[in-house]
Amino acid sequence: MSIDQALPAKPRSWLPLWLSLLLALLYVIAVDLELDGEALLYGLEDMAGYFARFGSPDFSNLSSYLQLLAQTLAIAVWGSVLALIAAVMIAPFAAITISPNALTYRLARELLNFMRAMPDLLLALLFVAALGLGPMPGVLALAVHTAGFLGKFFAESMERVPAGRYEAMASVGAGFTQTLIFAVWPSMLREAIGNTLYIFDRNVRMAAVLGLVGAGGIGLELHDTLRLFRYDQSSALIMVMLITIIAIDQLSTWIRKKLT
Amino acid sequence: MSAIILKQVGKTYANGFKALNGIDLTIEQGQFVVVLGPSGAGKSTLLRVINAMDPANSGEVTVDGELVQGRNLRKIRARIGMVFQHFNLVDRLNVMTNVLTGRLAYRHWLGSLLQLFPKSDFELAEAALAEVGLVDKAWQRADQLSGGQQQRVAIARALTQQPRVILADEPVASLDPKSSEDVLALLKKICVEKNITVIANLHQIEFAKIYADRIVALNAGRVVFDGPPDDLTDHRLNQIYGLDAKESQHDRDELALADA
Amino acid sequence: MTAMNWRWPTPDGRLPSAVPLAVISAVLVLAASAWLIEVSPVRLWQAGPRLIAFAGHLFTTPDWAYVPRLAEKMLETIEMTVLATFLALLLAFPLGVLAAHNASPHPIIFQMARTLLSSIRALPDMVVALLFVSALGLGALPGILALALVTVGFMGKFIAEAIEVVGTRSIEGLSAAGAGRWQRIQYAMLPQAMPDFIGSLLYILDHNLRAAAVLGLVGAGGIGYDLVMAMRLFDYGRISLIALSIYIVVTLLDRMSAWLRGRVLGRRVNVH
Repeated sequence: MSIDQALPAKPRSWLPLWLSLLLALLYVIAVDLELDGEALLYGLEDMAGYFARFGSPDFSNLSSYLQLLAQTLAIAVWGSVLALIAAVMIAPFAAITISPNALTYRLARELLNFMRAMPDLLLALLFVAALGLGPMPGVLALAVHTAGFLGKFFAESMERVPAGRYEAMASVGAGFTQTLIFAVWPSMLREAIGNTLYIFDRNVRMAAVLGLVGAGGIGLELHDTLRLFRYDQSSALIMVMLITIIAIDQLSTWIRKKLT
Repeated sequence: MSAIILKQVGKTYANGFKALNGIDLTIEQGQFVVVLGPSGAGKSTLLRVINAMDPANSGEVTVDGELVQGRNLRKIRARIGMVFQHFNLVDRLNVMTNVLTGRLAYRHWLGSLLQLFPKSDFELAEAALAEVGLVDKAWQRADQLSGGQQQRVAIARALTQQPRVILADEPVASLDPKSSEDVLALLKKICVEKNITVIANLHQIEFAKIYADRIVALNAGRVVFDGPPDDLTDHRLNQIYGLDAKESQHDRDELALADA
Repeated sequence: MTAMNWRWPTPDGRLPSAVPLAVISAVLVLAASAWLIEVSPVRLWQAGPRLIAFAGHLFTTPDWAYVPRLAEKMLETIEMTVLATFLALLLAFPLGVLAAHNASPHPIIFQMARTLLSSIRALPDMVVALLFVSALGLGALPGILALALVTVGFMGKFIAEAIEVVGTRSIEGLSAAGAGRWQRIQYAMLPQAMPDFIGSLLYILDHNLRAAAVLGLVGAGGIGYDLVMAMRLFDYGRISLIALSIYIVVTLLDRMSAWLRGRVLGRRVNVH
């Protein structure tokens, strides 16, 4: 049996074009940044030697490291808690299904975006400049930045609550807060907890680093030891940090598994 | 005193669709009214202007002598229970909590923050659950119940409001024939025993004839029939809706019976 | 509680015992943490006015002469982001495929790939950047390498997860037709994982831009270095400009990626 119709022309695939453009772009960037292939290779060799010096960690100051670690965790805890409180208060207004009017919705959304946009390290810098060294600027920086993320996650969860539930609450004469407590939060609690744990996990990681800008915790110590070329102490610090981060990571994954 | 009075009520939606066109209706306390009509006739809208879920654009709605307007919405809605096609329960909460939300109009939001209720509310909720025959399911999660059971919970929620009126917007459209009969019989029983006005949207004409004291038929936003079920002969139906409507309704009823 | 007028909607009127326990432990943790972060009423009291004063300083006249260098540095930051992300893609792709249990050739390889990715993910990017700067000196290169390395961890995980959630039906279809492992990966898993992956890619680019902006803090290129210097010198005219430009670029990228994500995911045909 012969084919009566000719096959339609095969559509042009744009993939090769995009790919070549991308490669060209990357090349241009590499040139612009004055990246030198040779320097990279030498650099890698240097790095190998450099990292070898971290081979023998010195745990002599362990007790003070552990204290700093506790402080780091405390920064993460309070940063996350404040972020949670702010997010809980702002999120309903940033959810288009619940927000009282278009203006509050836009304002709340923009506020959350603004809080998210600034990298928390930069915020920490700003807060340190304003408030001086110490853990407080770290807490505030984390709180502001992650409130933006958490608020957006919550608002998106709220928008996925079936609209019928809002109608039911309206029909019994429930107020705004009552609708939140009985229809909205029960529907999204699982997701909300998962998101909060994710943010806390991330904040532990960030709190460790915030010390680099003077915002307290173990990062500050690492900065000093590296500056002083104390590799043995640095590697001990890094190990302590890594173990803690991994531990919190596992813990929060476990909790999240138990919830689903 | 008449329970509900609609005077020249009109409703046009934001997209320009004119759902109700000069409706005049007076409904006495304790009547069981069924609203009939094809899709788009304005059945839902008729119900929803009564408790201002979709406020009327023109005309007046009076419930129990009070004009329905922005200021006294909560108070009016407290006295009007609503039952929805998709039940609109909060799946994750248990049956008792769902039923208790019927009391929210009477509760201050502070107490609601912790999901606390006074003993008197519990007594009302228990009585309502007894009325619908689901006391033994009080502590189960709402989503573990069958469709018919969930709708009965929704009715219990409405009962807990101690309402003067119950609006039922396609209450059995998502139920199988047996559950549909249970639910409608329950609504009828409540209407008769407690002197509560029931206004129900149905598209099954046969159900309307069995349960209604009065049938109001709508077409294109106007009342085209208003009288006792006996007056709604096949001849009248033909007049109102044309032969096609009657035949397709007949087909629908046959299908429903075949599934039983 | 049951004797009192108010009850909870539970069979015995009380909350499940886990709840007060959780609340008490939470309060204890919070109190201990508050002590650890050296919170004091004095500092808290001062914090408000100091922040306001600082914010006030930011509203000085911008240092317009700085704009050309600012643009140059911002461009450098963006370039670092792009380069690092695509560099990471090279490594993350094979690793991701190996770390997906429906695509990995052998359970041991699967475990190894998974563990490798988790370990990389635990590294904070700033620490890695700091290390690379110490090893390679100042400049954009250590920043790019550090960012690329850290990104491999996340990207690999996203890729692995995107492959793992591919519907089994299409894979079975190909198996039945006699397709081999790599053919299955190429024709069933990758095409379907693409939309998910592109969504994650956009998210990663977004995140990396912020990271790149701060890497300069430790001398690893980009705008961060200028910001630290400006802070040290209390050069508010520059601080405000830098902060503003970071905000603008990040927001732009955000909007663009949201738009792109809408277009890519919108076209996706659900074959599950």
